[in-house]
Amino acid sequence: MIDSVGESAQREPSRGPVIELIGVTRDFASVRAVDDLSFSVSRGEVVGLLGPNGAGKTTALRVLAGLLTPTRGHARLAGLDVHQRPLEARRHLGFLTASTGLYERLTGREVLRTFGALQGLDGAALEARIAQLTQELELGPFLDQRCGALSSGQKQRVSIARAVVHDPDAYVLDEPTAALDPLASRDILQLVQRAQARDKAVLFSTHRMEEAEYLCTRLLFIRGGRVVAQGSPSALREASGQATLTAAFLHYAQEAA
Amino acid sequence: MRAIWVLLKKELLDVVRDRRTLALTLLLPMLLYPGLLFTMGAVIAAGRERLKNEPLVVAVASDDAAGFLATQPVPPKTSYQRLSRAEGEAALKEQKVAALVDAADGAQRAVGEGRQAVLTVLYTKRYDRSMEGLDRLRPVLTALNDSALSLRLVEKQLEPTFAAPVKADLVDTDFQKDLGPLIASRLLPVILLVMLFVGALYPAVDLTAGEKERGTFETLLVAPVRPLQVMAAKYLTVSLTAVVSTLVNLAAMSATFGAGLSLGDEKASVTVHLTLGQVLVMVACLVPAAFLVAGVSLTVASVARTFKEGQTLMTPVMLAGLAPALLSQMPGVELTTLTALVPLLNVALLVKAAVLGTATPLHVGLTMISVLLFGGLALKLAAMAFENEAFRFGGTPALVRLFGPKK
Repeated sequence: MIDSVGESAQREPSRGPVIELIGVTRDFASVRAVDDLSFSVSRGEVVGLLGPNGAGKTTALRVLAGLLTPTRGHARLAGLDVHQRPLEARRHLGFLTASTGLYERLTGREVLRTFGALQGLDGAALEARIAQLTQELELGPFLDQRCGALSSGQKQRVSIARAVVHDPDAYVLDEPTAALDPLASRDILQLVQRAQARDKAVLFSTHRMEEAEYLCTRLLFIRGGRVVAQGSPSALREASGQATLTAAFLHYAQEAA
Repeated sequence: MRAIWVLLKKELLDVVRDRRTLALTLLLPMLLYPGLLFTMGAVIAAGRERLKNEPLVVAVASDDAAGFLATQPVPPKTSYQRLSRAEGEAALKEQKVAALVDAADGAQRAVGEGRQAVLTVLYTKRYDRSMEGLDRLRPVLTALNDSALSLRLVEKQLEPTFAAPVKADLVDTDFQKDLGPLIASRLLPVILLVMLFVGALYPAVDLTAGEKERGTFETLLVAPVRPLQVMAAKYLTVSLTAVVSTLVNLAAMSATFGAGLSLGDEKASVTVHLTLGQVLVMVACLVPAAFLVAGVSLTVASVARTFKEGQTLMTPVMLAGLAPALLSQMPGVELTTLTALVPLLNVALLVKAAVLGTATPLHVGLTMISVLLFGGLALKLAAMAFENEAFRFGGTPALVRLFGPKK
């Protein structure tokens, strides 16, 4: 179990949703990737973002992470507007993608020290947090090796540690298990389960229906940048009249055609 | 400031561990100049020695020419071959003979009668062997003239000085036997500017387009840091790399020239000992130039989405950087109050002037101010690039959007 350490551990849990998109629209030239999208994720919730390629999932997550500015609307993390107060908002964010995003010429420890320092941790608190993550994620045997020399599973674990080194309130995961083998995917699933157990808000996009069904308390199905259906996995199955979530996915995806 | 320091440490660690950057900034200059210049000197010397010892054939196209040549010893390793003028010219074209000597009918008789004879030598600058043939014939031609003149002077009972009333004594006080400063003033500006770009371009591409390709750029931007802080750390890293690269290049070149080079001719040794003052003048313009080049490189490289794309975009930057270096070598292009304001051209000209010892404090000051101003402009451009969402995520249209609304 990852315990709270560092600055974020001292924060009072914010009331209300931790992750919020409020009427977000994002245009790329003449293409509207996200269209008046609104949803929220509260503490202890694991929300899955489902939808076909090009539905606007990654754009929505990038708006949440502050990487993209919405054409209209607002994104909030722990009640802080991501684009008006980006630095404070991002201290609440743990962001992970399919790409490990590790500096190959740095060791895992150096990566954690760098990102921990950027998150405001330093000295003994940072070293204690790294030690804790090393134990939790079993990073010990390879933490001082350069990331370029690690296996994809080891890289993924260092990447997880990097994303949560500051113990964020909001986990935003963009297809984190894409291109991972089942063993490496298991680390991601455990990360989500630990986060939920610690009352974090988790939002993740995926194409793997079994993961969504297994982990998520709620699913959002988006198409054309809008939410077209939402509810628990069983509720979505029932609403679509399908026996499996995969069939429900196809149902909502084909409904558009 | 703390975020910039943390990022700078990360960037420097990343760059220092990159073998390609180390090879380009440290290893290349340390090996290039001693290796290249000593090899060049050795190759030139060996080539000259080989030519001197190579048997050459000189075509003789007429009886009168043969008659003239017969009065003088044949140059070493040289033989004469009688050919018609047409055959001789064809042989010269095909490099079968090194030169052709011809004289009109009655030329020998004309000299005997006190008139002037014309001895024609055909050669071509296109071939080294032909130039060597001409070099071997020169003493023969001089000796022919001297002996005929001597006979005439004796006959007229005149002193040898009669035929040379004014003797020119040309003394090159600047260079004497040492061509060092002249050659260094040609080489240093070009090589230092090129290496300045080489030192900046690779890390600039690696730290921007390379990071986007590896997925680390996005990771960095979701941390609680401003894009400007990310840019500042990268800018300082690229500038430092360019400065180190330039200083290592300067040191390597100074050491190489200080040791002296031989160009195969005892009269043409190349040695230049740079004084501390000369080095300081160069450093004073090269360091600000490194900041200018870093800003430009970072701005252009940030357009690219992949390392390969970044390298492609950098080619015109490199060529644009080379242009002032080459322009500085054009005849008549000197460091003036006007040229001292043209970025990079002023740096090349100041390096040249520093080597020749003609740099003035005014020129140093103007160059520094100009380069710093343009460096500031490049930094502003880099800042605009990183503040611009389209630039952060790359793509050629980003170049167009740089001057559009900031997002």
